[in-house]
Amino acid sequence: MNRWVGVVSILRDAVENGSRAVEKIQKETANRPFAVLEALGPISAPAKTVHAVHDATVTATHTAIRLVNRVVTGAVDVVLSKG
Amino acid sequence: MAARLDAALGILNGLVGDYLERTGNPLATPMVCQPREGLPNSSKAVVLIHGLMGTEEHWAFENGDDYGSLLSRDAGWAPRYLRYNTGRSIAENGVALDAVLEAMVARWEGPLDEVMLLGHSMGGLVARAACHVAGLKTSGWLPKVKRAIYVGTPHQGAPMERIGRVVSKVLKAVPDPYTQLIAQLADLRSDGIKDLGDADLRDEDRARRVASVSLKDPHHPVPLLPQLRHLLIAGSVSQTPWLAALFGDAVVPLGSATNGLLDAKILPGILHMPLAHRPEVYEAISAWSRE
Repeated sequence: MNRWVGVVSILRDAVENGSRAVEKIQKETANRPFAVLEALGPISAPAKTVHAVHDATVTATHTAIRLVNRVVTGAVDVVLSKG
Repeated sequence: MAARLDAALGILNGLVGDYLERTGNPLATPMVCQPREGLPNSSKAVVLIHGLMGTEEHWAFENGDDYGSLLSRDAGWAPRYLRYNTGRSIAENGVALDAVLEAMVARWEGPLDEVMLLGHSMGGLVARAACHVAGLKTSGWLPKVKRAIYVGTPHQGAPMERIGRVVSKVLKAVPDPYTQLIAQLADLRSDGIKDLGDADLRDEDRARRVASVSLKDPHHPVPLLPQLRHLLIAGSVSQTPWLAALFGDAVVPLGSATNGLLDAKILPGILHMPLAHRPEVYEAISAWSRE
């Protein structure tokens, strides 16, 4: 049973760390086109707004993934500890 | 099924065992030293220490024998098989092995006159690290060790890990998020694997680590203990001298496995992993242990 607890733990860590890595990549990748758009005078202000919304959406999505991951693996932990 | 699961855990521990240990994951393999059922005890113990990502199953011949059981049958040695988390640093495993051997000697049934260490690949370095720790602490088991055997042990490091270190550094220097991610993934390899690059036996050795394909210092700061007799066995991919010198046993170069010693035993045609379970290797061990 201990081994299953370990498997759940390593899966939780993989999803958690993977989500953080992907979130970072998505933001850094988006930074490049946004940097170009934000340098163009007339559209600079709306581009900054869209950039902020984009980053907030990415953060919210990955936070939700990590939250669900913790809830699900936490529930499995409880089931395993009672089994 | 259980053996396959153990083998899978051995691989997982070799890859990320340091992480499993740090996070308290139950999949982290604790260090244990056990006898094999059916083999008699004696006053001479041989401790078999497997290599990276291994378990004691790596010693097994197809017919179920292994160097320990054959030494028991032929020369009355009592084998003890070590299992440990090969992803931890070699220094940490050396400290743990020192404690395990101290306990083994203290609990030995009957007199114990001699302990012989037999390590394959990383196992040889862990044995050396334990001897170093025991020498500093004056542990009780060390005076009982008169002989040590190293099979395919990278005494002067493993160039494949050093190449990996350089590749990882190059990838990190590329200012691209995807390349950075690949570099991060490459860097996930365990402390144990990283230690193999320069055969780092102590924590302070790791602090000197540099990203270079060449060995940082061919003169290892922790020499083989002079009071022991050492048998170094190396495999090689070919009988052709230049091929053997270049590729060694396909993982460990000849110069590293022989540590530059002229009396090291070189077995042409035996690759790195099979060195743990080949009759030719046993013949060399058996002949030397009778001397």
